[in-house]
Amino acid sequence: MKSILEIRAATKSFGGVKALNGVNLTLYQGEIHALLGENGAGKSTLLKSLAGVHSLDSGSITLFGKPFVQGSTRASQDQGVAVIYQEPSLFPDLSLAENVFVGRQPQSGGVVDWSRMNSEAEDLFASLGVTFQVSRTARGLSIADQQIVEIAKALSLKAQVIVMDEPTAALSSKEVDRLFNVARTLKSQGCAVVFVSHRLEEVFALCQRTTVMRDGATVGTAPISDLSQAEIIRMMVGREVSELFPKLPAEIGDVVLEVKNLSSSGQFEGVSFDVRKGEIFGIAGLVGSGRSEVVRAIFGIDRYDRGEVLLGGSRVPHSSPSKAMKLGLALVPEDRRLQGLLMPSPISSNTALTVLENLVRRFVIRKKDESALAKTWAEKLQLKYADIESSVERLSGGNQQKVVLAKWLATQPKVLIVDEPTRGIDVGTKSEVHRLLSQMAQDGLSVVIVSSELPEVLGMSDRILVMREGRQVALLDRHQADPEVVIGYATGALVGK
Amino acid sequence: MRELPVFLGVVIVYVGTGLLNPIFFTPAVLNDILFGVAIVAMLAVAQTFVIVMRHIDLSVGSVVGFTSFLIGDLSSKGFSLIAVLAVALGVGALVGATNGFLVAYLGLPSLVVTLATLYIVRGIFNEVGKGQTIVESMVPRELNWLGLNHLYIFSYLFVIVIVLMVAAGLVMRRARAARDLYAIGSNPQAAKLVGIPVARRIFLAFVATGALSGLAGAVMLARFNSASTQSGLGLELLVIAACVVGGVSIAGGTGSVYGAVLGAVLLQEILLAIGALGIPQFWQLAVNGTLIICAIGLDRYLSTRTKASTIMGYSK
Repeated sequence: MKSILEIRAATKSFGGVKALNGVNLTLYQGEIHALLGENGAGKSTLLKSLAGVHSLDSGSITLFGKPFVQGSTRASQDQGVAVIYQEPSLFPDLSLAENVFVGRQPQSGGVVDWSRMNSEAEDLFASLGVTFQVSRTARGLSIADQQIVEIAKALSLKAQVIVMDEPTAALSSKEVDRLFNVARTLKSQGCAVVFVSHRLEEVFALCQRTTVMRDGATVGTAPISDLSQAEIIRMMVGREVSELFPKLPAEIGDVVLEVKNLSSSGQFEGVSFDVRKGEIFGIAGLVGSGRSEVVRAIFGIDRYDRGEVLLGGSRVPHSSPSKAMKLGLALVPEDRRLQGLLMPSPISSNTALTVLENLVRRFVIRKKDESALAKTWAEKLQLKYADIESSVERLSGGNQQKVVLAKWLATQPKVLIVDEPTRGIDVGTKSEVHRLLSQMAQDGLSVVIVSSELPEVLGMSDRILVMREGRQVALLDRHQADPEVVIGYATGALVGK
Repeated sequence: MRELPVFLGVVIVYVGTGLLNPIFFTPAVLNDILFGVAIVAMLAVAQTFVIVMRHIDLSVGSVVGFTSFLIGDLSSKGFSLIAVLAVALGVGALVGATNGFLVAYLGLPSLVVTLATLYIVRGIFNEVGKGQTIVESMVPRELNWLGLNHLYIFSYLFVIVIVLMVAAGLVMRRARAARDLYAIGSNPQAAKLVGIPVARRIFLAFVATGALSGLAGAVMLARFNSASTQSGLGLELLVIAACVVGGVSIAGGTGSVYGAVLGAVLLQEILLAIGALGIPQFWQLAVNGTLIICAIGLDRYLSTRTKASTIMGYSK
């Protein structure tokens, strides 16, 4: 096999912090190469160096035997390296065709040739095996589709190296399948595809070789078939993670939360379940199955048409998160950056946000109490932080998620709903979050966990509700729920009653 | 088609008013609308360049007033028409370049920068034009003629604006550099990442807006046959109103010069309709305001109507 890209002994520091410290990576023509590592291992910095956002301090990158020109996104593009980010940033007001060709629209006679641009875009999408109406604007496109547009753009640039940074994090399994097919098409066309993911099953399904990074350096490169999942995890964390999802046995008590026949037109229909004290209740389903919509409605963020929600026997009113909170409900939202945290604000104010009323004396928030409260929770959740008054932006994803958890636990809820609790969190912190949830259940909290990561739901939950297209299709006990059964129900391969 | 609602508005107001008061259907009234709208329409065309980039240029009212004065003043001192037009263009371009430099290269917000240049240019204008008024005898003969004559029933001033609009429309649709403006307005971060020279584009767009606004001083002088330090006062808001009503989104990324001109026509038409229907003039301003809110409401509705969905493969 011919090597396309070689990175040797790459280093990069940011103000004294070594983000890259001896990275070696070789990419071959026609391979899908997994780049693995915990958050903070240096993957992003490496990708950004390839994208032209950063330049290396030392070390070399060669592309097709020639030195790779660094430090300009335009130069990276021109040399045939394309990076597809987890959440692509398209131009929402421009057509799909123009999004593909932006800045390089096909011209004839010195002016943009729209019909040629549209037909070339159609051809690109067709070569990826998808059919898009290229004249529609990119506004409202799903993340999966946006990624496809980015890939088409990469192809139009004749990219030979296509880097996908956690492309599947926000995709449903159908969309993941489609993306995999696209990646395999790229591979068969001779591109080198770099695939970054926290989901090891995907890596085994798709990739031929893997390079594992830890603390800014490469730990090793090997064919994927030579490694087991456990070996990869060991390489990533440098220690044994005996159990990824430690579920502690908890005493299950009386019913705390009752959801009766909840319906919201166009969103979900006839959802009923109850959650008991000390129970972890999982909701599984594909993205778009209505999982998040149901919990949003329960918490009162979105309205619903029919049905009712009871907490400890009393009715949770419609559309009022603040009343739901007072009754003892808490919701850790899906997107912590957007919905969960005030990013520029300090850890202390973020933690205290839900209980500000208790900290007010004579119309003024007492800063001392705020910090004390935040510190107590930080200790309980083993938050890694330098200063309780520094902004949450500086924390890693996993620690940010702990702050969101702290903020809601501070309300002393009876039922804690967590939506995608570990999205984009590294393996180590992930199992810590799981242990926390498990411990709290043991202490008598009821937890509702919504996740698109099946191992997470399966590993954590006492019972699992499976949703498909807005309806509940199965309610499984822990021992009944194996991956095949849940996926079967979620995709409609198995039909529930 | 984002221009469709405003086009329908233009037709409905015209036909509706005409049915209530047939005078509205006479060529004289039509001409009044088109003659009267020329200045705002031309400035709206110019303004579109910056608004699609998610920027704004408030200095155009001062610029157009100042250049209309300069054209009259200099030509009365014996300068040729070409020379005075070049000065108008140059003054506009200079103000545009100042705006563009501060916004593109120093990263200052255009709202504040152009508010500042609005005052600065008006201040210079007050000093230069202290106590002077441009009267008909000082207006270049050619401009005077353009203001008085018609091509069939269309005022030459309106014809000039239409020619400019079509030219600008072609550029906005067909030139890569102009397409970059839409990309910048739609997603400034991404524009940088795909290698668009964002700062240079912003700079040049401000220069273009300024230059065209400076040139609009000629249209203004041709229309009013006079100019004073009060000329063009407050016009910038009417121009922005025309753009917004015409579907040039203040959030950037969409809209066309055709829409901007239609927006200007609609505002002018309503002004005359209110007169023709005997409605107190107070309502004209209130109606303008209502129209702006409707336009923004429609804009928001259109952009949120398309909900996130997967086109192909798995979808709900």
